[in-house]
Amino acid sequence: MTVGIRVLAVEDDERIRASVKLALEDEGWIVDEAASGEDAIAIFAKHPADVVLIDIMLPGIDGFELCRNIRKSSDVPIVMVTARADTHDVVAGLEAGADDYLTKPFAPKELAARIRALLRRVRPSKPGHSKLLFGNLEIIPDEGKVILNNAEVELTKTEFRLLCELANDPGGVFSRELLLDKVWGYGYFGDGRLVDVHIRRLRMKVETDPANPTHVVTVRGLGYRLQS
Amino acid sequence: MTDIFSDKPDARYRLTRTRKLIRNSVHRLRPRRIGLRNRILLIFVAGALLLSSVLALVTYSFTRSNLVDQRVSTETNQAITNARRTQNDLLRSPKEILIALDQGGSAHRIIYIDNTWTGSSPLFSRQMIPPALLQRVQRDQKAASMIVDSLKGQALVVGIPLPRINAMYFEYDNLREVRDALQSVRLALALAAIITTFVGIALGVFASRRAVRPLANAAQAARAIADGRLETRLEPTDDPDMQALTSAFNDMVTTLQERVERDARFTSDVSHELRSPLMTLAASVQVLESRRDDLPERSQAALDLLSSDVARFQGLVEDLLEISRFDAGAIRLVLEPLSLFEFIKQAVSVSSLPRTEIRCDDIAALVAIRGDKRRMARVIANLLDNARIHSGGKPKIVIQLADDESPPTNVWIVVEDDGDGLIEGEFIKIFERFSRGGAAGRRAGTEGAGLGLALAREHVTLHRGRIWAENRTDGIRGARFIVELPIDTTQTHDEHTHE
Repeated sequence: MTVGIRVLAVEDDERIRASVKLALEDEGWIVDEAASGEDAIAIFAKHPADVVLIDIMLPGIDGFELCRNIRKSSDVPIVMVTARADTHDVVAGLEAGADDYLTKPFAPKELAARIRALLRRVRPSKPGHSKLLFGNLEIIPDEGKVILNNAEVELTKTEFRLLCELANDPGGVFSRELLLDKVWGYGYFGDGRLVDVHIRRLRMKVETDPANPTHVVTVRGLGYRLQS
Repeated sequence: MTDIFSDKPDARYRLTRTRKLIRNSVHRLRPRRIGLRNRILLIFVAGALLLSSVLALVTYSFTRSNLVDQRVSTETNQAITNARRTQNDLLRSPKEILIALDQGGSAHRIIYIDNTWTGSSPLFSRQMIPPALLQRVQRDQKAASMIVDSLKGQALVVGIPLPRINAMYFEYDNLREVRDALQSVRLALALAAIITTFVGIALGVFASRRAVRPLANAAQAARAIADGRLETRLEPTDDPDMQALTSAFNDMVTTLQERVERDARFTSDVSHELRSPLMTLAASVQVLESRRDDLPERSQAALDLLSSDVARFQGLVEDLLEISRFDAGAIRLVLEPLSLFEFIKQAVSVSSLPRTEIRCDDIAALVAIRGDKRRMARVIANLLDNARIHSGGKPKIVIQLADDESPPTNVWIVVEDDGDGLIEGEFIKIFERFSRGGAAGRRAGTEGAGLGLALAREHVTLHRGRIWAENRTDGIRGARFIVELPIDTTQTHDEHTHE
């Protein structure tokens, strides 16, 4: 299933790029290289990748800007590479549209695992549930469609999977750890901020009033829940 | 100190001597028992007391002599008038002595006429007339007055010769009004002195506070700097006396800050620069590893060495980076409420000893803490690594409440091993950077760089906890490391807090 994945690696350090390319090609994947954000935009337009790997520290337009730029036209999963896990960079990158992050130096095996998790197909919903209705919000998992107030909503792949996970048990409470496991494939030590930022992004799209969410609601001390 | 070594003044001797000199001078410079503030206060109080007492005394004696003089002259004049009238009365009717003596007023009178003393009152007899006064009036025929001490205090006796009837007239006045007036003055002055002294105390307190304030500020700033707040400075001042201290202090801190920052930046820069080549190394080694079976045996052995040391190198750089972040104060904890027991189980499962036994009683199992998951997991992993490397046996983790307080405030995470234990002097030292325990040979192999416990200490401190090491006291040989963390009592574990 993961054979033939096309990865666009955006990294200004030529040697890192070359070694990551070698390691990912060992997985049987195709790797496009870009040394700058400008190159990346051009290459992505020519050969749309399945996953984009972006180093935040880039000459010219930086990783955040590149993230936002790609997000304008694509729902492709984006993994960003940051220097540190505890800076604002992580949250800023996630808010710019990244789906996951890694800190340098990371093992290519870890990267491959992250990419695989992000590319997992949406779990098929129970038969007879081809359409899920939550008030004015409609989810059609098989077609990858979400409709709010009769208008289709554009979600990234990860946002869509997050929403489908929540929709699998309407009204049920999902802890951060559970969502990290189901959507990102992380264990206990996953970063809860991934969930928080994605929930925030999701609310911007599926809530009529994102400041007062009625569908994706917080359950104090426990996690999140999807309701009508 | 005799100079028996003076013919061979070797460096060590000189050093000891210098040290002694310094110690002695420090000893001499050591402040006396009374502090500066109290000294200033004391000076003010003593000054106020002295000044007000002297002022009161001077005022009193001045007022007294003035009052007495005035009274004496009034009394004397009155006595002369009275004496004259008495003389006239007696000239008219010589037999009516007592009537003649009754000239009104409060004075007591005696007259000596025809060799007889006649008094108007039993309170004044001729024995009370001082001989000197009597002599002066009798012999010199001059009016005179004298202050005498009587049982009731001072009194004035005025003597006047009455030559026309060949008699002597004496008047006695007990000066009560003067005494009463002086009593009031004394009271007023004593009161004034007391008030002045209190004002002095108040001024002293104020002045000593003011005088000491710059010192207190400097001390506070020094403490803040010692605590790592290197941006602390003393407020610039117009006071020329304090300016020297302030600017010297601030210059010192600036220099210190620059040096600390330079050191921290250097470590951080070096580690950052190492990360890119490390990344390339790790990725390339992985590519080689996936082809390990195609390699000749000797190349395989070399690859194994390479990949294990790349991993070690990576760990070291990560540790150095984390340490440099501590030094730069650039750590931001990602705090969230954690169920401690669950957290320890998870942390142990990702450590190098995933099957470590965890003991936790029912109460401790309910404890929650606020922690940075990944950093606290590093603490547990580092403690387990340390136990594994040093004891060789199986360490054990015990979670227990730190005290009997209700509600409990702190919780202990104890990591026990059954190794050789620690020797005296190691308990603190092992938490120092790059320390490798007392005997380097005791460490199995060359694993670890000696940053693990130092990092653990920094992490625990950031979590407002404590960490220390001791030997086991339950009769089994071995060391135990105790991490004390505050219990999270807020029940609203909700949004992640990013600090």
